[in-house]
Amino acid sequence: MNPALRKLFRKGPPAPGDVDAFIAATEFPLVDGSDVTFVWRGRAEQVFLRCWISGFDTAQPLQSLTGTDLWATTIDLPPGSRIEYKFELITAGQRRLVVDPLNPVLAHDPFGANSVCQGSGYQRPSWSVHDPEARRGGLETIRLDSRAFGDTREVGIYLPARFRRNRRYPLLVVHDGNDYLRYADFRTVLDNLIHYLEIPQLIVALTQSQDRLREYAADDSHAAFVADDLLPYLAANYPLLDDRASRGIMGASFGAVAALHTAWRTPGLFGCLLLQSGSFAFSDIGRHNRGPVFDPVARFMNSFREDPGALSGKVYMSCGIYESLIYENRSLLPKLQVQGLDVRFEEARDAHNWENWRDRLRSGLSWLYPGPLWMVYE
Amino acid sequence: MTTIRLLLGPQRPVVNLGDAIAHAGLPAGPVAVIAAGWQEAEGDIDDVAAAARREVINLHLYRRADEVFAADPELLQRYRLRQDRLQALQRLYGLRLRHTMAAARETLRADGDTALVDPEQRHAIAQLRALDRHHLQRVQTLHAEFDAAFDSARHDLLSRHQAEIDALLANVDTVVITGGNVAVLLNRLYLFNLGQLLTEKHVVAWSAGAMALSEQVVLFHDNAPQGRRNPELFGRGLGLLPHHIVLPDARHRLRVKDRIRLALFSRRFAPAVCVTLDSGSVLTLEGPRIVHASLAKQIAASGRLRRVRLK
Repeated sequence: MNPALRKLFRKGPPAPGDVDAFIAATEFPLVDGSDVTFVWRGRAEQVFLRCWISGFDTAQPLQSLTGTDLWATTIDLPPGSRIEYKFELITAGQRRLVVDPLNPVLAHDPFGANSVCQGSGYQRPSWSVHDPEARRGGLETIRLDSRAFGDTREVGIYLPARFRRNRRYPLLVVHDGNDYLRYADFRTVLDNLIHYLEIPQLIVALTQSQDRLREYAADDSHAAFVADDLLPYLAANYPLLDDRASRGIMGASFGAVAALHTAWRTPGLFGCLLLQSGSFAFSDIGRHNRGPVFDPVARFMNSFREDPGALSGKVYMSCGIYESLIYENRSLLPKLQVQGLDVRFEEARDAHNWENWRDRLRSGLSWLYPGPLWMVYE
Repeated sequence: MTTIRLLLGPQRPVVNLGDAIAHAGLPAGPVAVIAAGWQEAEGDIDDVAAAARREVINLHLYRRADEVFAADPELLQRYRLRQDRLQALQRLYGLRLRHTMAAARETLRADGDTALVDPEQRHAIAQLRALDRHHLQRVQTLHAEFDAAFDSARHDLLSRHQAEIDALLANVDTVVITGGNVAVLLNRLYLFNLGQLLTEKHVVAWSAGAMALSEQVVLFHDNAPQGRRNPELFGRGLGLLPHHIVLPDARHRLRVKDRIRLALFSRRFAPAVCVTLDSGSVLTLEGPRIVHASLAKQIAASGRLRRVRLK
């Protein structure tokens, strides 16, 4: 039992007032090295811990602590880990998922919010928090007529603070750009890293799909949209450096598939790839086991793994080791390396979520786009 | 007049600009300031004036260059073409350097019969030096091509700015060059022919400013967020500080405890002396002679840091 709970219960079941005082004075979950104890308070028939970690049971029961309305369970979580979770409450035969009311730390994604357990030694990177000395970059929206899709698309454009028309800038194309802004503090990260000179001032095109499971699943129309609609528009309207090494493309999950596929379909166009927790489903033999929505992805990945083609430049990949996709990402790595690509692969004690991707942005962006820190000697 | 070159480390946390100028006995009177390395912040030199305890005259090289390029699209286009080619060349050099440095480093770490190992180490370093020479020559070729096609007399605004700079410099004995982006600084110094104009001036320079004075500019940073990067030869400096490679803020930028790494640094650029200038450092030269060194260190062939020898 966690030492703090043991102390609470040392003279038998505590009175409600003592439980109140304990809760008011304590941070939850209780982290004691690699032992992490989740606590829920309330009436229920059953309480489960739900955290989507590959290798873990998806639902771990909490035990009712005798004589109280407290429930608890302890898991072994290696130091440096960060996981997201909810509690599943079963009351009168009804199930509902709730965030941990005792833990104010939440992570948001397009589906809502999860509670966050920060394991021993984990700290949110300081560069992901707004630095008041960092100038804010600007955000504007363009409307782009797309021949590839036959419709009009909105694309967000990030311009660095002190943007000048008489300079030229590297370009980064981002899939799920709005989600990166909203859930991974992308603008703050860009502002800070540019201020610290760790990345150059760059222009970022933040694309967003209304049908990402189709358009990001190795779709040729999407690749054509990026190469034939978006890039020419950007080149005509923004002062961009015109060389492969200054042009990058990135994404997470299906967005990473889209980034890899687009680069593969347009050899020589992109010299920098940033791929986070790519949904790189494939099958060495027979069918993949990821479900029908992954069918076009698997067809692409099987082709790609067979022949990576003329992909060139630098590739940064990251993946959480608590994701089932770690297998697909680890097995893609040697396929890229044998092509002579300059590949950096980073694993993290985290899972498939936006804050994992946020936490890797500094190492990915600064490696792909080394900043003028190299050139600046104050 | 024997020219004085005063090289300082970063002016933060230790601001020693004023004391160094006073100690060096530089002539009284205003000083010209080149802060082009600060780019858009070039105009913010109040702190320099306060630290120097002198009247300062800003040469505004960065702003002048911006105006010239805005008014002269042909020059801008050729300049950009040169920059693109230089950057592409630097990338190719970096690609080759990675493997050549790895071989040299691993060879330096090899142990065994010295009769077998030593010649291999010397040869590995010779290959590294050959690559550096080749790269420097290619960089010089690109600069020469640009210069050969460049007739400043055809560019009115550039000529006018040049004349203004010449006039401002005629009224000062001393020029201060700040730190900042060394590539931007060097480009502006070349554009306005400062290499020639500074030969007869006393110069006080720190960090990137000090690097720009050397014959060869070496970029380095062992502790960048993207990890270690091999020191790279960037190009020629103004040549006002012969036989020295300047390494500002080595305490933060170099892994000074890695003897192999530092030994390779020293042997790679020999006979030039690699000098570290941390904050608070001063290196004073009268003509070609080092007459005073405080806190500045040089990297010995063994990889140790030693006091700079006065000449």
